[in-house]
Amino acid sequence: MEENLNRHSKISAADLERLSKEAQDEATPSSAKIIWSEFKADKPAMVALVIVIGFILFVMIASLFINTPKMMETDIMNYNASPGTNGFLLGADTGGRSVGQQLIVGARNSIGIAIGLTVISSTFGICWGLISGYFNGYIDWGMQRVYDFMMMLPMTMMIIVLVTIIKNYNAVTLTLIFSIFYWEGTSRLIRSRTLSESEKDYVAAAKTSGTSNFKIIFKEIMPNISSLIIVDTTLSFAENIGVETGLSYLGFGLPIQTPSLGTLIANANDPNNITQYWWTWLPAALLIIVLCLSISYIGQVVRRSADASQRHGIDA
Amino acid sequence: MWKTILRRILIMIPEVIILSILVFLLAKAMPGDPFTGSINPKADPAQLHHLMKINGLYDPWYQQYWNWVVHLFHGNLGNSYQYQEPVTRLIGSRAVNTLWLALFTTVLTYCFALPMGMYAAKHEGKLPDSIIRVYTYVTFCIPFFVILVIGVWIFGYVLGWFPTTGSISSTANPGLPSIGSRFYHILLPGVLGALFGTVNVVQYLRSEVIDAKRSDYVRTARSKGVPEKDIYRHHIFRNSLLPIAAFAGYSITGLLNGSLFTETVFSYPGMGLLFINSISYRDYTVITALVLIYGILNLLGTLLSDIILSIVDPRIRIQ
Amino acid sequence: MSLVEIKDLTVHYPIRSGFWNRITDSVKAVDGISFNIEAGETYGLVGESGSGKSTTGKSVVGLEKVTSGSIMYKGKDITKKANRKSLDYNHDVQMIFQDSLSSLNPRKRIEDIIAEPLRNFEHLDKNEEKLRVLQLLDIVGLDADALYKYPHQFSGGQRQRIGVARAVATNPKLIIADEPVSALDLSVQAQVLNFMKKIQREFGISYLFISHDLGVVRHMCNNIAIMNNGRLVEIGTKDDIYNHPMHIYTKRLLAAIPETNVNNRAEHRAKRLKVEEIYREQKDKYYDKDGLAYPLVQITPTHSVALPEDLVDQLKHEGEVQA
Repeated sequence: MEENLNRHSKISAADLERLSKEAQDEATPSSAKIIWSEFKADKPAMVALVIVIGFILFVMIASLFINTPKMMETDIMNYNASPGTNGFLLGADTGGRSVGQQLIVGARNSIGIAIGLTVISSTFGICWGLISGYFNGYIDWGMQRVYDFMMMLPMTMMIIVLVTIIKNYNAVTLTLIFSIFYWEGTSRLIRSRTLSESEKDYVAAAKTSGTSNFKIIFKEIMPNISSLIIVDTTLSFAENIGVETGLSYLGFGLPIQTPSLGTLIANANDPNNITQYWWTWLPAALLIIVLCLSISYIGQVVRRSADASQRHGIDA
Repeated sequence: MWKTILRRILIMIPEVIILSILVFLLAKAMPGDPFTGSINPKADPAQLHHLMKINGLYDPWYQQYWNWVVHLFHGNLGNSYQYQEPVTRLIGSRAVNTLWLALFTTVLTYCFALPMGMYAAKHEGKLPDSIIRVYTYVTFCIPFFVILVIGVWIFGYVLGWFPTTGSISSTANPGLPSIGSRFYHILLPGVLGALFGTVNVVQYLRSEVIDAKRSDYVRTARSKGVPEKDIYRHHIFRNSLLPIAAFAGYSITGLLNGSLFTETVFSYPGMGLLFINSISYRDYTVITALVLIYGILNLLGTLLSDIILSIVDPRIRIQ
Repeated sequence: MSLVEIKDLTVHYPIRSGFWNRITDSVKAVDGISFNIEAGETYGLVGESGSGKSTTGKSVVGLEKVTSGSIMYKGKDITKKANRKSLDYNHDVQMIFQDSLSSLNPRKRIEDIIAEPLRNFEHLDKNEEKLRVLQLLDIVGLDADALYKYPHQFSGGQRQRIGVARAVATNPKLIIADEPVSALDLSVQAQVLNFMKKIQREFGISYLFISHDLGVVRHMCNNIAIMNNGRLVEIGTKDDIYNHPMHIYTKRLLAAIPETNVNNRAEHRAKRLKVEEIYREQKDKYYDKDGLAYPLVQITPTHSVALPEDLVDQLKHEGEVQA
């Protein structure tokens, strides 16, 4: 081949450097860069992104300076201290514990679990959807039956049952338990896109080029659905914040001594708290709302940017 | 058509069997037993042992499972240890509450979502469309339990417009007043559930209608001079309605999941609250029965949706 | 020995139905066809859409699961996956696709697209590989600055040439060209076809040229097979097919070639209508009772037609009289 090519092409090794430099100058930015520049153009989205990342960093760092066991000690003297009194910026709860500090540690715990859950369940759901959609036939059929079965399970109930069975659970085991049940949405989405993507000729071309199935799935098909993956992951992050906090609210999430935004809201289960001592639960509720709204707003803009970059691709 | 349904039901059978085994084993694996706390705390260990024995709690698991299944087919789900009452009767009374609330929420959701979806599609890309899109997203991404808590705080406690606990007022007279009282109790949770559960129906209806708007038959109707109002009413809406109805089946899963939260927040005596209470009391018989019922309801919901969709869309039938 | 020998190739797609979803019937996309591709030639496979010609092509390149029959290459049956692997079959047999946009991964740069077969079959170092890609681009008439661009930035003709460059990258012995130009403008078609011809001359590649367009096939092919409903109806050299067509289906296809000479429009139209009328009248004679073509019968050493014996004699006789 080499001799053949050298004979019929006037390009030789000597031109390599010059030509590749020329090509480099003409290079087209990758779609990730296009999405990013589209995203940057949306000022409110940038503000939301800065706020969310800033807030996450703040609670991560601030919680390092808070001694959790000491914070969780009961202090009768400050029973339901109102905001601004006794040095409690946001008041204290029924046990005289600082709501402000609990809010910081609780937010760290809740966000941490949501991130862990998103990483694990999205990774699993993406792989499941890609494999199920790419291999038609028996593999897909079997995987679909497992999926159907998982869809039938009453998720929240199953998680509660599992949490009561496992005696010493912590944030990590809790995240893993959640992950068992929260990959289906992602996997269905990815599977249906993979099915249509696998029909395209570039997959056939990769096969005839000798590329292995594994590489075709993760290096050929996955980049083509990457914008879908980014959007879905962002949106499920917002959704997953609700998963742990909801369970903690019911009393089956993080253990009592580990504060979470959900356990703070659970203060509202006491009729006295909900009316008189609103500061014990309302800040946590508002925080969750603001977090979820900003994250999913970011997701919306990412979706728009991804669409725009696609348009860009077709127009060019 | 009937074959599709029959085959779906056949596939369901192993799923239900696996679910029942899973549920049973999980309940068995839960720590503690239902007797230690329920009798005199100083109870004689021998007496406890005797109780465990006559209840069959020492048998091998498959034996216990088999007994449970046999009883199941006789309509006997055992006795609740906590309430000392047959599980079937206990759940039966709670199920009515949960199902009324679910039905009310579903009807209300469609009442809100259908006009919104149609309106958004009609004004596609314009201001009303964007407002509705923002609304559905905001309501979708806030965790529902937070909404419930804030809702019960504002409308239940602060404004005092709605009751905050129970399913019926204890002073309500039988007959019409009692029905009124029941309705009064599900009004707030139902409205909240409907207001914050529109996203699926709205988005689906919107894209269906937009597709229909661009389809040839609508263009033909328009070129024939059919009035715009009739085009929407007779051509577009009718065609989009069945797929939308199919969503009702799928939404059962979400509603049941949500019942745990709704009933906790409103102390509403339905199956969800019963489940939460039973967990604390390790009331196995109730827990297993409830998980099984919820699983089967989920299955029936998807089955219903699939059947509706297979009527609408023959492509699904062939698969 | 021929380069590739296809023998009794069948590809059936199962139709599932009934309560248990069992296979109750099958679509016979390809139904027992045999032909050989010689080294260095362009073999034309012609038929209308749905005739099974694309399925045949995909079977030859190893993309389709074959129901029965064999495809022999270097003495091995490559319908079996293990044989394809041991031969590094796709190093020698490549494919050009009809839809140039869909056949190039939109998220990959041209360099990575053309280098893909090289990376899998020939493990070159970075500079060698880049040089090879640049030379391949040069051969199909594209500049070096294409290297770091994406497929959507090129026109249809350019993209198809990139597809050709990728197929040629490993210097294969055979390239399956599945309607390579039918999605392109007429002027661009000629350009791409000329590149393909040039490459064939320079690298000694064989093509299995799949097309529905007998006009294009005439420009490209030495030997031609006509396919209809999963079966071959006529095989022959270019001369056999274009000047002495015997099967009524071939005649009909030939009549459908658009004529550029506008002056005799009415005459051509009359001729086409006549062929169409004969086709309708004599259809039963040329196809068996299931509407399928008969087995091939050899007329001359190069020419075979799917006809029942009696009809062959009759047609031969007519031919002699005419001659």
